[in-house]
Amino acid sequence: MHLWLGFAITALVLWGITGVTQKLSTNRISSERSFLWFCWAMVALSGAVLVVARPHWGLGTLAVACSVAGGALNGLGAWTSFRALESGGKASIVISLISLYPLLTVLLAVLLLGERLTWTQTAGAVTAIAAAILLSMEAPHSSQA
Amino acid sequence: MGTSPESRVNQTSRTGRLPKWLLWSLVTIVLWGTWGLVSKVASAGMDAYVNQLLYTAGLAPLLVFVAWTVHRQSGEDKRDGRAMGIFWAFFTGILGGVGNIFFFQAMVAGGKASVVAPVTALFPMITVLLALIFLHERLGRVQWLGLGLAFVAIYLLSV
Repeated sequence: MHLWLGFAITALVLWGITGVTQKLSTNRISSERSFLWFCWAMVALSGAVLVVARPHWGLGTLAVACSVAGGALNGLGAWTSFRALESGGKASIVISLISLYPLLTVLLAVLLLGERLTWTQTAGAVTAIAAAILLSMEAPHSSQA
Repeated sequence: MGTSPESRVNQTSRTGRLPKWLLWSLVTIVLWGTWGLVSKVASAGMDAYVNQLLYTAGLAPLLVFVAWTVHRQSGEDKRDGRAMGIFWAFFTGILGGVGNIFFFQAMVAGGKASVVAPVTALFPMITVLLALIFLHERLGRVQWLGLGLAFVAIYLLSV
């Protein structure tokens, strides 16, 4: 297995666990307060990264701009997803629709970064996006809860 | 709360012809889809730890806005178990942040944005598996199919 794939799978496992812990949180507090403490945890983690990892500096402007923009884009995305749910969208539809976001990443990466995928990788990426959409659909019994 | 999803959809406010929920969903796709791209560009110029630090800096203005919003609503959220709710939210943030570091590391290690983004977007498979194992939730046929396809996708991307 490729090293990058191992890292990617670790990320998906950790993010997958957050699906449960976030539910445990929003069962008790509002989504806004939950998101606020989610952000504070990011700040705390950054403090720990500064102390433990001793990161190297000396960075290019483009890389810094993209990284800072990444935090803003991802955070705003979480916020707009809450707005979608609060604006009357059914969770099963909104979450399934939002699961299409990697499709845009693929499109942008191919068009702007010139990335090229093998046929197997293309099949894998398409299957992954289809799987993410299906997984995000509510089971019939849970929609009645 | 107290209304069926169908009636909530019928009450949906609209912006022009698009229902607001659809507009917010499309904006979310654009924001998260672009995040994958800029993460790859950033990963070409820094390690995963610095990326996570700067990512948090980018998150800061939103944190201030949400803190202000929550402060205004502070009287409306006095449910039982608030401390546990905050604990789980904080834990979610730690897991999410460490997940981010691995996501960035995947790109630093040579993973293409066009492959890493779809792989990591499979994270609901873990949520579904945990709910199945620990919460004894039952899965619908569609979710079983999604779970099967998720394993097929990982296999295809690993060969």
